Amino acid sequence: MKENQEMGLLKKLYTVVFKNIWPLWVGGVILAALNTVYLLLLGRAWRITTGFTYWSAWVVQAFGGKPQEWSYFVETGRQTEVEQCFFSNDLSLVSFGVILGALLSVLLSGQFKIKKIKTTKQAIAALAGGIIMGYASRIALGCNIGAFFSAVPSLSLSGYVFGLFVVIGAWLGSKFLVKFLL
Amino acid sequence: MAQVKIDCMYEPCPIPLLKAARELSSLELGDVVLIETDHSCAIANITEWAEKEKLDCWIEETRSGDWNIYIKKT
Repeated sequence: MKENQEMGLLKKLYTVVFKNIWPLWVGGVILAALNTVYLLLLGRAWRITTGFTYWSAWVVQAFGGKPQEWSYFVETGRQTEVEQCFFSNDLSLVSFGVILGALLSVLLSGQFKIKKIKTTKQAIAALAGGIIMGYASRIALGCNIGAFFSAVPSLSLSGYVFGLFVVIGAWLGSKFLVKFLL
Repeated sequence: MAQVKIDCMYEPCPIPLLKAARELSSLELGDVVLIETDHSCAIANITEWAEKEKLDCWIEETRSGDWNIYIKKT
């Protein structure tokens, strides 16, 4: 009887931690704490797409290109980082960690699944969205993490400007979605 | 008392919610919309929306990672 109760409790704990969706404030508190730790340990705040940018630069390098000479990397002062590698650059590692963590969490919840592409429209929208987001995050010098989530607690005005335009973009995007994707 | 099924498999948010809301507006009182989804966020935002709209909403997990969400027009 007691064993059954304990099993029931464990199962409930498992469901709450791994299966159910966490309340937004829990995620917010954990993210804020982790970003603070990141800043304390590495001396700069968390960024996502910059790590991805290095990945693509390294792919170009592997094919004999010289991205470290491109004006983007020169003007943003990121030449030396391009000369690092996958495991020696913190932003690269942390972006890899985000993907690994997402995989781990979906495996722990038992909901891992390879999703199919439903329509060509969906595929085109996803691809176009990815390209626009990738390009835009570079000319905006950051994505919603680097240019907003990390900028606002640093008391940077740029974070609020970025946030305002994200809201405008999301509003336009939702209009577009309702019109063309629904 | 009709039941309309919407296939939202492989579709990310907010498409399941938007499709459900659109379908529901064309239904009669007492009719039920069944949304088939494999997107866990849809559960959160559809139940939240249903609560706000004061609609009956219940969920069944058909298998791990797949859900049927029911909303009744009241």
